Amino acid sequence: MALAPVNTEIGMVQLTHDPYPIYRKMRTQTPVVRVEQIKRTFVTKAAMTRMIKDTPEVFSSNDPNTPMEPAFQAHTLMRKDGLEHRRERMAMQLSFSPKVIKQNWAQLYRDITQDYISRLPRGETVDLYKDICGPVSARILVHILGLDGATDDQMLRWSQHLIDGAGNFGWDPELFKISDRANDEMNAHFDGLIAHHIATPNSSAFSVMLNAQNPIPQSQIYANLKIAIGGGINEPRDAMATILYGLLTNPDQLDEVRRQDAWGQAFEEGVRWVAPIQASSRLVLEDTEIGGYDVPKGETVMTIQASANRDEDLYENSEEFMVFRDQNPHQAFGSGPHLCAGSHIARRTVGEIMIPALFDRFPDMSLADPSKVNWRGFGFRGPINLPVTLR
Amino acid sequence: MVKITYIAADGTDTTVETQVGNNVMHTALSNNVAGIVGECGGAMMCATCHCYVDEAWADKVGAQIDGEEDMLECAAADIRPTSRLSCQIKITPELDGLVVHLPESQE
Repeated sequence: MALAPVNTEIGMVQLTHDPYPIYRKMRTQTPVVRVEQIKRTFVTKAAMTRMIKDTPEVFSSNDPNTPMEPAFQAHTLMRKDGLEHRRERMAMQLSFSPKVIKQNWAQLYRDITQDYISRLPRGETVDLYKDICGPVSARILVHILGLDGATDDQMLRWSQHLIDGAGNFGWDPELFKISDRANDEMNAHFDGLIAHHIATPNSSAFSVMLNAQNPIPQSQIYANLKIAIGGGINEPRDAMATILYGLLTNPDQLDEVRRQDAWGQAFEEGVRWVAPIQASSRLVLEDTEIGGYDVPKGETVMTIQASANRDEDLYENSEEFMVFRDQNPHQAFGSGPHLCAGSHIARRTVGEIMIPALFDRFPDMSLADPSKVNWRGFGFRGPINLPVTLR
Repeated sequence: MVKITYIAADGTDTTVETQVGNNVMHTALSNNVAGIVGECGGAMMCATCHCYVDEAWADKVGAQIDGEEDMLECAAADIRPTSRLSCQIKITPELDGLVVHLPESQE
């Protein structure tokens, strides 16, 4: 067999601006392709990305050559395999499970959402991305994780600095200085909460990890909390903004969603259409083959779930936002052992609570000018503004 | 080939055939049996392939394996003594005719 073809034209600038036409072309012409400027092999078909994620023995998460370790000042569970990954993940999984969400948190999420929405000025145009999507996600996460006392601004800033550091593939030392400062602040905040969570055990992730019979080391508890901060704000924020955009630009679908109370389906379609986490990387542990091409040991492959979610083999009109699809086997939450641990929380908070609550309060809200909504991102993607007139 | 019957929470039953060596989760997915999600692909990292083994089959199927119990605690539906993650039930010739019941919800 042959090595995958090489693409020398595509780089971060085009991918960050709008990767979807690029992926559409790749799916047709070069579904496995070495992208020279990114130094990774891109895989863009759904069956292949799923196979890679579901085969961790060959495609490892344990890639030492990523900026994640300096950004988080830790070797985190995101970059571990097997039993080590399982132990650290299971340490906090219960806090994110459907039962705990329903029993302990659902009412609180509703109250938080109402609190933020009730402050919005009726009749005016506001940026929901800035005023709702980010802050509500941050506030809810403070409670899930048990980070009592952290402000919305702190949470949003920590999250952004961790993500900027983790995406610092240019290894710019300035960006690591910024993430280092965020780490210092987070560590100090965590230090101050340990006694409280031990004295009054609760179902927050911090408390559950600290009070476990056989707890993981404190350094890994901190790393887990940071992973949850890095992954628990921007993604629900981006998912929410994307779904709102999809519904507001497709009023017929919005009417039908309302009529059928199909908010869950709207959520699934939003994250399929523009997956908040668009791509992931895996290190190839042995010479292998993907889609008929040789992929040598040591190569890093990128599964492009953004593209898998628009694979023509699975979806009709795959580029369109269409809530009412016969099936929607999207990979927005990934698959395999590293499947998003927050998927239940995202479905409950964004899909069942936040979006219906907004449309309930402002039934006739509308996008001031859809063409003014800007989208950005390669690894992470969503609108970066959402000016909506509240009615 | 081995026959497996899935009984949904509403009582609907679906019987499919599969090969020895497969597992109960994959068999459901490849035959479009509703009620099993299997988000993590069988890595025992989610609880969306939860099933209740029919009492008559409980002994033959056997007990939860190490780590399965912790994961089942994260399941959406109630846990019973016969609860298993269906990805961890490997099909053997002895399981021909196996009946599993599906919970109301997996997510």
